Amino acid sequence: MCGIAGIVYKDKKLHNVGNDMTNMLHQLQHRGPDSAGYSIYGGTGLKENEYILKIQVKEQKNLLEEVKETINIKTPIKEDEVLDSVGDSFIYKCRIALDEFSQLKPLITKVDELENVIVINGSHDFEMIKDVGSVLDIAERYDVRNVKGTHAIGHTRFSTESGVDRYHAHPFQTYIVRDISVVHNGQITNYWKVRDPLERKGHVFETFNDTECLVHYIADKLDTGYSLEEALEQSVEDMDGPFSYIIGTPQGIGIAKDKLGLRPGVMAETDDVFAIASEEVSLREVVDTHHVEQISPGEVMVYEI
Amino acid sequence: MEIKEINAENLTPREINSQIKEAAKDYDKILIKNPNAKHYLAAGVVDDTEIEFDGSVGYFAGTMCDGAKIKINGNAGWFVGDNITGGEVIVEGSAGDGAGQGIYDGTVVVKESVGSRTGEIMKNGTIIIGGNSGFMTGIFMMGGRIIILGDVGDDVAESIIRGVVYVKGEIKSLGNNAKFDELTFQDSLELEETLSKYEFDIDDYSKFKKIVPKSTRPFYGH
Repeated sequence: MCGIAGIVYKDKKLHNVGNDMTNMLHQLQHRGPDSAGYSIYGGTGLKENEYILKIQVKEQKNLLEEVKETINIKTPIKEDEVLDSVGDSFIYKCRIALDEFSQLKPLITKVDELENVIVINGSHDFEMIKDVGSVLDIAERYDVRNVKGTHAIGHTRFSTESGVDRYHAHPFQTYIVRDISVVHNGQITNYWKVRDPLERKGHVFETFNDTECLVHYIADKLDTGYSLEEALEQSVEDMDGPFSYIIGTPQGIGIAKDKLGLRPGVMAETDDVFAIASEEVSLREVVDTHHVEQISPGEVMVYEI
Repeated sequence: MEIKEINAENLTPREINSQIKEAAKDYDKILIKNPNAKHYLAAGVVDDTEIEFDGSVGYFAGTMCDGAKIKINGNAGWFVGDNITGGEVIVEGSAGDGAGQGIYDGTVVVKESVGSRTGEIMKNGTIIIGGNSGFMTGIFMMGGRIIILGDVGDDVAESIIRGVVYVKGEIKSLGNNAKFDELTFQDSLELEETLSKYEFDIDDYSKFKKIVPKSTRPFYGH
């Protein structure tokens, strides 16, 4: 059991989606106590060639300097800050510029080679915030309520398949297509059958978490000309197991649900907002309506702005 | 009639249920304000009291009740009316998957549409859905009636052993061991009697399709 949620403001303007998503996820806290996370889109304000890196660095003498040096060799750090976290590590956040998006993954791989350093995320159009602990604690730790954006997806995790740590918290992202991330409730039981052909095509898997294969799968489809809706529809055919998952892209969000409908999903919308979540209790934080639509088994829904 | 009002705004489901059970001993009707789609509300009430929710409820609303009359002025999540042994649960809005799952008796009514697996493994009683019902409605049904006024999804009455499903709208497909049967005049009369009690206005009661088991013996594998 996990909780998933997504919200899109239809006017394409910046709103307090960090605050909205925190409220939505807090209502889904009972579905997953282990970790929580957000992808908040549209509010980074970066130039076209700029990216944010978020890197988990162990409290260790000179390690942060090594991280900075590794990045600076490839591209100068334009701005940075250190975010306090829990445990024996902290989050180093920096802004960089790259000529091509394809240079991002090699840079991340280089930084990941440093011992006790893990790159949590690298993105252009969204800010990923994820950590272990409760939604409200994480929201306070990273000041999420003040993060603005046009749309967002979020997750509360009840771990089943892999470890409980910051890296394995959702969302997961891919570096094949820019700024695609996923949150997922359920299991992909034909994980290896999905992963194997993607690896042969060059996708690099970092974990054994089934959610990671979802985001690579969707990115691969988008990269080969599928629309988000088509990619989600095809995933319902190709994935086995109980699942409902939400994809975030710079254009919007989409949900897919397994053919047997074994994981929940509801949707509600008004003139201003389109929202999806595991449960109505979460939707009610952002949508003032009693008209709630059940997402049917095998159904796919997309809202793009 | 003595009415007890409970404001659920800042209460946990456990606290709400404790207050409902305490009030059910002394009051004829309990009105719950601000249920805010919380889960497990009015679980296990065994007094014949009226319980009204002024808003939506979450999962397992009214589960394992016996005799209470529950009205929900909003939507319900998954498994509304789960395993009730009597009484009724009426949802004015829509509901999620598994509405009326496993009921032994009593009536579960959802005025709008519901999700999948409505009436799964029900043993007796009646489930009425005013709108559409999804995939595998009536799966593993062992008795009772399901009445769907809208359309119904694939595999209706999958692996049904006893019981009957009536559908007024379109049927996508039947499940294993399910077959159509002729709607009798007696069936129409029963439908009219049952549906009019819950203020459904049907123009022609002879238009329902009736689905029953092919075999009433348990069967395994195909």
